[in-house]
Amino acid sequence: MHCNDHHHHENKNYSRRDFLTRTSLGLGALSLGSMISPVNAYGQSDFLNLLDSEKMKLPHFVPKAKRVIYLFQSGAPSQLDLFDYKPKLNEMFGKEVPKSIIGEQRLTGMSSGQNSFPMAGSLFKFNQHGQSGAWMSELMPYTSKIVDDLCFVKSMYTDAINHDPAMTMIQTGSELPGRPSIGSWLSYGLGSDNKNLPEFVVLVTKGKNGQPLYSRLWGNGFLPSQHQGVQFRSGKDAVLYLDNPPGVSSGIREEQLKSLKKLQNIQHADIGDPEILTKISNYEMAYRMQTSVPEVMDVSDEPDYIFDLYGEDSKNPGTFAANCLLARKLAEKDVKFIQLYHRGWDQHGNLPKDIKKQAKETDQATAALIQDLKQRGLLEDTLVIWGGEFGRTNYSQGMLKPDNYGRDHHPRCFTIFMAGAGVKKGITIGATDDFGYNITERPVHIHDFQATLMHLLGIDHEKLTFKFQGRRYRLTDVHGNVVNEILA
Amino acid sequence: MLTELLDFLGSLHPLIVHLPIGIVLLTIAIDVFMRNKNNSVHRVITLGWFFSFLSGLLAALFGWFLGDNGYYLASQISIHKWSGIAFVGVCLIIWMLRFVNFRFTQTFNRFVNFTIILLLTITGHFGGEMTHGQNYLFENLPYVEKKISVIQLSEAERAETDSIQVYEDLIHPVLEEKCMACHNQNQAYGGLNMSAFESMIKGGNSGAGIQKGNPYESLIYKRVSFPHDHPKFMPPTGVPLSYDQIATLEWWIDNGAEKQMPVTLVRNDPKIQRLMEIQYGLDLREKTYLETLKLDSPTPEKLQSVQGEKYSWRFLNPEQSFMDLKFTKKQIETTDLINIQNIKKYIVWLNLSDCMLNNDHLGYLNDFPNLTRLKIQKNPLITNKGIEALQNLENLTELNLYGTKVSDAALLRLGQMQSLKKLFLWNTRITPQAIADFKIQHPHIEVIAGM
Repeated sequence: MHCNDHHHHENKNYSRRDFLTRTSLGLGALSLGSMISPVNAYGQSDFLNLLDSEKMKLPHFVPKAKRVIYLFQSGAPSQLDLFDYKPKLNEMFGKEVPKSIIGEQRLTGMSSGQNSFPMAGSLFKFNQHGQSGAWMSELMPYTSKIVDDLCFVKSMYTDAINHDPAMTMIQTGSELPGRPSIGSWLSYGLGSDNKNLPEFVVLVTKGKNGQPLYSRLWGNGFLPSQHQGVQFRSGKDAVLYLDNPPGVSSGIREEQLKSLKKLQNIQHADIGDPEILTKISNYEMAYRMQTSVPEVMDVSDEPDYIFDLYGEDSKNPGTFAANCLLARKLAEKDVKFIQLYHRGWDQHGNLPKDIKKQAKETDQATAALIQDLKQRGLLEDTLVIWGGEFGRTNYSQGMLKPDNYGRDHHPRCFTIFMAGAGVKKGITIGATDDFGYNITERPVHIHDFQATLMHLLGIDHEKLTFKFQGRRYRLTDVHGNVVNEILA
Repeated sequence: MLTELLDFLGSLHPLIVHLPIGIVLLTIAIDVFMRNKNNSVHRVITLGWFFSFLSGLLAALFGWFLGDNGYYLASQISIHKWSGIAFVGVCLIIWMLRFVNFRFTQTFNRFVNFTIILLLTITGHFGGEMTHGQNYLFENLPYVEKKISVIQLSEAERAETDSIQVYEDLIHPVLEEKCMACHNQNQAYGGLNMSAFESMIKGGNSGAGIQKGNPYESLIYKRVSFPHDHPKFMPPTGVPLSYDQIATLEWWIDNGAEKQMPVTLVRNDPKIQRLMEIQYGLDLREKTYLETLKLDSPTPEKLQSVQGEKYSWRFLNPEQSFMDLKFTKKQIETTDLINIQNIKKYIVWLNLSDCMLNNDHLGYLNDFPNLTRLKIQKNPLITNKGIEALQNLENLTELNLYGTKVSDAALLRLGQMQSLKKLFLWNTRITPQAIADFKIQHPHIEVIAGM
């Protein structure tokens, strides 16, 4: 498995494909050892031979979190109607946003043409909750009850102003598609804690409309493809084409895979394409998933009070609540990165009505998940994140009415919250101005957030790199500072 | 009158001191590059040595006056003074020898030139250190580790931050360098002797040196933080205290200015804590057990015992000595526990949940010295009896017992575990009342018992 096995300069069987693979991977192909996380690529018996390899030095320090559950709220929830209480906006309801506040900042094409930018105070009541006194709107009654377990960051900001680049940014560290997503980096860097399940699992709420989700958001980019996120669908076949075809028994399948592996190993020894190894590991993973996936997707032995906790929806597969329950089960099985997507937060108009529905779909299950993890002791080593890709404007997009408004994209500030491993409880960091437009305290860029996430998992975000096309890439590119204030 | 005049002449020292430097270098240059039989050049060189001697003498004299006013420590001046005097002496000897037309051999001449340049370098360097601070010469060189502070803490001291005292280790060395040349027991300018803690607090003729708890009323703090052109600014010559040194002094006075004050007290002030980190390389965060633990990596032979599908483990630190191990099967056997026991020293996190672990099994876990997190939840065979075995786990901070059959009596034993910080008791037989009582008795243990 060392790189000198692959120096086949004398090799005549050098196909066009091999050439492309090698040249496009640059020196990557020569340094195979660093390309594939040894924890995945080697059984534990091979493990020992690699104790000295550079990759094995991960984690860089003792981690606080062993896994992440990222409840991604796609479309960008309005921080002004959920978390970031701005009574000034209610006081000045309908008045123009002061010029000094917007300044020369760009607006999206959707509202930049408006003649007027009337401030829209939230129609929802805010109250302080818990011992920490965190402000929450009435839209999230369940989450309001657990604020003392949460850490709010009210000063998040991003570079992108539209959904796709912003989502790509927060999930992969770059607005341009093609970089590995957070889960892939973690899978690559830390490997698996349960070899029967993928390290990176994606659950998407079914039946939701809104901004499209592309599988590249959980893609492996230039990392070996075994590190990509695996989407578990709701319903009968969680992973498509996993089951054996009729007439093929498990034993036959195993035999078949063994023989296939022999052939593939011969081919790999011959041409050294790293994707061959990836293929082998994917086949083997699929085989193991034939039993592990149905097992983890089966919620029939969950007691009623657990379903009650997550809410009525949790009995309906594919809902956010059901996915939250699955997320807990996957966390129990040591899946490293569990990514949920819930679409529908993009409320350019009709916000008061639509956000109610969205909040109702997510509030109870979010709180339930955190409580459920807590009572099982899983919150000690699981980091839960709730948030979208950017914020929403303090002015109304379209006509402002006393009982209706819309909000446009606002990358300059938004709120996310986290809970669990290594994060302080019951705190809020960062603040925005009285108009909820600009950050006044402790700005946290997407890259800072990503650096902090990596830090919690024991990774120095500057050290986990992958060389591709002649350059070393990392999740945070050349940016990112760990937000020390939130570390417990 | 005479004192003032001498002080004035002393202040001319930095001006005069550059004359002999210029003259002697010029003389040597002529000597080296224009040396021939030409008699006039020979005389120019002789004359050069004379002027080197004369200006050197003047510089040495003025320097003496400057040093005499007491602003510098004898230890600081010593090398500078004596090498300066030696320089003047050698210049005089050379001039006299040349004056009487003593024949210099080429070797002797070279030796003399070299000696003079060496003396000049030494004198100049140590003079510079007095005015610009120690290490001024190399501090800006690339690849040289910057010594930012006068305080040198050894690696061992930095590791044992608990034993560092603010006054003794951080304040006193600064005062010693900056103040004690003038304010010591033999020579207490203004009646202030700073060499002893008590006399420094007491202060001098102008009042108390330090008002404990009030930096802005403390004369010593006020004097060092005045604007530099203030007539009462201290120290009057040499390098003033740095911002960090003043900030440390301020913080120390603010917090009571006690002689015995551990530096770990900075945990109450993040700003000063950060400053200590940058200035002295002191990591003063509260350390967990794992952060202080040093272990060698286990040998591959040792790890053989936990190979195979039953065990899933990984290292938690780059030194590869802390292990996080999980038993992956549904039914654990005694042999499995013996295998795990083989590497008990390295196991810091252990997960034996949901594997039919029973009370007898727990007996194998009774002496894992570095175990901090133990997950034995969802093992319905575990009862109070099993808990006894866990009492010897000295460094256990987190214990997960949810879904076991422990009852109220177990709390008695759990409460005796000194290191315990978190306890998970959901779905056990322990009653809410017992948990409420336990929380009152052990406020430092967080109990999570479900909603």
